[in-house]
Amino acid sequence: MAEIVSDQLQRASLDETKVKNEDEEEEECILQFLDSLDAYLTLVNSLSSSLREGWFDLASARQSMGHTRISSKLFDHKVHSASTTINITELDADNPSDPKPQFSLSKWATTKENPSSEVPNNSNLRHRVPIGVLDDGEKSNGTQVSSVVSNDIQKERSKSLTIFGGLVSPKLRTAQVSFETALDKIVEIANARSSMLSSFSQLQLNKKSSS
Amino acid sequence: MAGRAQIPTRNSALIAMIADEDTVTGFLLAGVGNVDIRRKTNYLIVDNKTTVKQIEDTFKEFTNRDDIAIVLISQYVANMIRFLVDSYNKPVPAILEIPSKDHPYDPAHDSVLSRVKYLFSTESVASDRR
Repeated sequence: MAEIVSDQLQRASLDETKVKNEDEEEEECILQFLDSLDAYLTLVNSLSSSLREGWFDLASARQSMGHTRISSKLFDHKVHSASTTINITELDADNPSDPKPQFSLSKWATTKENPSSEVPNNSNLRHRVPIGVLDDGEKSNGTQVSSVVSNDIQKERSKSLTIFGGLVSPKLRTAQVSFETALDKIVEIANARSSMLSSFSQLQLNKKSSS
Repeated sequence: MAGRAQIPTRNSALIAMIADEDTVTGFLLAGVGNVDIRRKTNYLIVDNKTTVKQIEDTFKEFTNRDDIAIVLISQYVANMIRFLVDSYNKPVPAILEIPSKDHPYDPAHDSVLSRVKYLFSTESVASDRR
């Protein structure tokens, strides 16, 4: 009799622990959802600011250069690849029922497809040796590589501007920078969206399994 | 959920745009413009002559292409094809509604927020408490 009661008490305790763990997981999921929702709304607001700056600079450039010089009629319709692209990885490949893509921006890749010319959004350059240990020759080599990379990036930037002519207004360059900033925010918004939809679908699954 | 496909890792995917001229011009300055061998672009400039059918067809084309990661669509344009945008539920390409010069962003119309807003409705909270 005592054994049966002890067994029942043990089962009740296990059930209670299981429910507690499920509640904690659900709360974590809710927090993740609310965090990504907050990030999404904040980033959209920030994107609006960047876009407004870009439109204003574009309007200023149009005023100084003339309306005919900044027009969609001048867009390049020859075959060419985008210099700024997106890389997609799946964050949780072990869970195919809940895909969570992760987006990252690759800015100003050159047409030569030189991997050292691409600038990832976080700009983390890898060093095989700690910087303090590099001798002068290697340090100058590292500086040369980074100056080659920034020259390539400047070339790609200038190429984008040349569709509007050789000499462009400084406002057009400023507009370019504003829209580049907007692109960074767009990628972050895409990641926040992905996180939000993933935690939302998890919450829906939890609700269905509990009802 | 049924029908969800795995997302393949993809490099050098494109950003597509369905927006007004200034927005498209700005993003082309930032280097996202692409013209493929078939002379197809990754953008559609929407003006007062663009028909709803053209916008619908372009949206369907962009969302079915494998080489596009993100589709940017001005929210006022998305409102013209709201049914199509709201019924889209694939993770990639991601559809992002952006403001335009004359139409500020309205979270009430955003398709992603509409999908999740029921979590905050008083009806769902009240029914859980009963």
